[in-house]
Amino acid sequence: MRPGRQLALLGAIFVILASLAWFGGKGGFSDRLAPQLGLDLVGGSRVTYKAVTQDGAPPKPEELEQARQIIQQRVDARGVAEAQVVTEGNDLIVVQVAKKAEDAIRDVGQASQLFFRKVIKVTDGGGAVAPAATPSAAPSASASAKPSTSAKPSASASASPKASGSGGGAAMASASPSASPAPSASASPAATPAADDTDVRVTPEQVQAKVGKAAWDAAKALTAVPTDAAQIVALKPFADLTPADVNALTTEMQFYVPQVSCDKLNKRITGAIATPDKQVVACQGQSKYLLDVAKVAGTDVDTATPQVEQGTSRRVVGLTFSGAGQDKWTNLTREAFQNTGDPKCDAGAVDESGRCAVAVVLDNKILSAPYIQGVLTDRSQITGDFDAKSAKELADGITYGSLAISFKQQATQTITATLGGEHLQAGLLAAGIGLLLVIIYSFFYYRLLGTVITLSLLLSAVLTFLALVVLGRTMGFTLSLAGIAGFIVSLGVAADSFVIYFERLKDEIREGRAPRSAVQRAWVRARRTILTANAISLLAAVVLYLVSTGAVAGFAFALGLATLIDLIVVFLFRYPIMALFARTDAFLSPRVSGLGRVLHEAKEAKA
Amino acid sequence: MSGLASRLYRGEAGLQIVERRKLWFGVAGGVVLLAILSLVLIGFKPGIEFSGGNQFQVPVAAGSLADVETAIDNAVKDADPGATMVPAQQIGDAVYLIRTSALDDAQTKAVKESVAKALNLDVKSISDDRVSPQWGEQVTQQALLGLGIFLLVVTAYLVIRFEWRMAAAAVASLIFDLVATAAVYSVVGFEVTPSTVIGFLTILGFALYDVVVVFDKVQENTRGITGSSTSTYAEAANLALNQTFMRSINTSLVALLPVGGLLFIGAGLLGAGTLKDLGLVLFIGMAMAVYSSLFFATPVLVWLKEMDPVIANHTQRVRARRASLGKTAAEVVPGQPVVAVGATSAPKAGAKPVRPAGRPATKRR
Repeated sequence: MRPGRQLALLGAIFVILASLAWFGGKGGFSDRLAPQLGLDLVGGSRVTYKAVTQDGAPPKPEELEQARQIIQQRVDARGVAEAQVVTEGNDLIVVQVAKKAEDAIRDVGQASQLFFRKVIKVTDGGGAVAPAATPSAAPSASASAKPSTSAKPSASASASPKASGSGGGAAMASASPSASPAPSASASPAATPAADDTDVRVTPEQVQAKVGKAAWDAAKALTAVPTDAAQIVALKPFADLTPADVNALTTEMQFYVPQVSCDKLNKRITGAIATPDKQVVACQGQSKYLLDVAKVAGTDVDTATPQVEQGTSRRVVGLTFSGAGQDKWTNLTREAFQNTGDPKCDAGAVDESGRCAVAVVLDNKILSAPYIQGVLTDRSQITGDFDAKSAKELADGITYGSLAISFKQQATQTITATLGGEHLQAGLLAAGIGLLLVIIYSFFYYRLLGTVITLSLLLSAVLTFLALVVLGRTMGFTLSLAGIAGFIVSLGVAADSFVIYFERLKDEIREGRAPRSAVQRAWVRARRTILTANAISLLAAVVLYLVSTGAVAGFAFALGLATLIDLIVVFLFRYPIMALFARTDAFLSPRVSGLGRVLHEAKEAKA
Repeated sequence: MSGLASRLYRGEAGLQIVERRKLWFGVAGGVVLLAILSLVLIGFKPGIEFSGGNQFQVPVAAGSLADVETAIDNAVKDADPGATMVPAQQIGDAVYLIRTSALDDAQTKAVKESVAKALNLDVKSISDDRVSPQWGEQVTQQALLGLGIFLLVVTAYLVIRFEWRMAAAAVASLIFDLVATAAVYSVVGFEVTPSTVIGFLTILGFALYDVVVVFDKVQENTRGITGSSTSTYAEAANLALNQTFMRSINTSLVALLPVGGLLFIGAGLLGAGTLKDLGLVLFIGMAMAVYSSLFFATPVLVWLKEMDPVIANHTQRVRARRASLGKTAAEVVPGQPVVAVGATSAPKAGAKPVRPAGRPATKRR
């Protein structure tokens, strides 16, 4: 019996956990020791999407992970801070934002659609033509080198990069140098001021009412981008439209009306331009592109990989197409290369050799719009000023779009902060009441030994709390209401380890053992039972955690964690304390130990 | 120091549980029959997670229940003329809960906005849930998968740790718990939600936990039992039950107390929701588990064991020996666990049944 050793080990575990919790965090006392709370406890929104594949089988893990990344990008692009996008199980993606009720994340699970569309026309989409155009949100940093007396942000942040840059003179297709493959590069600053109303469908009639009949008719009559000042002024009401309103406009209006800016076009709902057999408008940087119907879709792409071109060591993105896709692609490149086809590309949208560009459009964004350098019958390349990262991003973007995976919304939930707080309170209260009841019962039944139970339950609580803080930080485990329930349930299991042991102890004493050796013997026997029984709890928790999702997983995790901690406390605290306790005379006093009756009986029997 | 309570306390109640197994099997059979009837005739009352629908929570501060109901009703009818609404209920003193048929995102948002306008609230103070019917289905599917895997793994574990008959008896009692709990849900008409399913799964662990503790003692008492002919397997098992009876009662109490607290808070303060659903199913399931670990698992085990020729032979041997000893023993200790006397007089080497306490056997009464 070396109770000291176990207690020292327990102390070490405690110190390690506590320092992990304390030094792993930043900020003040409460920041360092705050466990991650689920949104049902702090309020927020959660949307669950289920992957739907054509053959009904769950998607491959890589596919799901790619889809998760797209959704993460979409959420980030909406300026939602601290959004959590995680995959669950083999076919679920859960998007959640804690603390604020944010409806903006609701439609981010729309299928990701990649299309190759010929660029017909290009115009400026900065929206700067309008007198009261939306000032671009970010004041350009470079401009502020001038005297800072003028507080106004310079409206035209860095001249909008024309996409018409000379390509790399590449073997096949060359991306315009400005084609920043990361769509968020231009989109995210603009999206920061809360993407309001993006998920409300607006009818054209409503927009017509909003801008007035005169402006509507003027816009309807447009066949080219207006240059006449009077005409532009007539279209002024269009400057006040929201992204959702803009989405209701016809393709022509979106393109021709100068007040419809790229900022707004970029914020249209996901999937706004997902119809392949319709011409659409999309932006690259601050340039508006009128795009032809989609003649090649993402599903036609077989592979898209970042490569290093042999000989030149330039970064390129290599493309291969599937059988039928290759034919479509060859036709599209022929049409673009020779600028045949109907409609023909506008003079402003071709390069110096009169070749059209083909835009790679993912969702609402143009990833890249390379000019076509030849009729491509086999492997194709997109070249341009890529670095390793941007080449990979473009390749990934194309790959995402070729996923045969779409999502079905399963559940959405918003919880107000007040309700979340109420839940947290109720959960903690329930835990407190449960703990109190168990403590009262153990004092009632085991007298002073109840102290040992109480102490170990409190110790378990502290260890659990520290583990939660650490796991929340390292693994992202969030404590939900179901998790709290899991801990409450495990209280019973924790207390039961004592019941098993103490009942054993009574048995031993009843059978005539001296209390001191009874503690030892009962421990050896109870240990086996406790291990067997806890193994069952642990098995249940592990199985549940592995197969389930969401609340079930949180619950199972809590149950498993509590069982483990219970084992630690049983072995490293309860037994050594009992061993120490058994050395004292008080243990033998019936009033103190609750073993009195059996002790008394045993004595009587001996006499 | 007399009376049932203290005898229980000492593990000497001498309850004839295994002996009356026909009664317990009858009870169990009745419950299962009732369960099947009820599940077929009544079925479950599904929550919106299974039927699909929307749920709104409006702070109580917004006005009276009737006001809120009218406001939501109007808003819902505006958004979707065909929509239906379940009468609102108040949850605790915090929120009103209103459930409607399924609405899409735009409709949901429209409802929230128009309710906020009508009641002069901030949109953000209204919570909403939208669930597709597939959601509950998915949770249930995974739960069933989990149940299947767990049964396999745990059976393997129990076979290794104990023996196959104990594993079979433990799993049988577990299935009994689940069926009986389902029956209560069906008969009473409690709503089944994913939280209920979670709670249902938790019963798995708890029910087996309890049975394992009892079987551990049975195993201890019956180790090497065939080597002596003082007591039958059934008697030794019954003694184990009696010895762990108080522990079972205590364990059940300490396990049910916090769950009761959970139920009390969940139902009392919050009305509907995760806590209540979990608390309710756990409370019912654990109560069932207590019953089955005492009155079902061990009788099933003994029944299975007595089909084993070795044990059957042994039982006959013990009976024959008793008969040859004459009627005296049976008359001296009527209805008492004969094993206690026997074990005291002839402890088997290596076996760890009741230790000779040095007490006269008569004290046992």
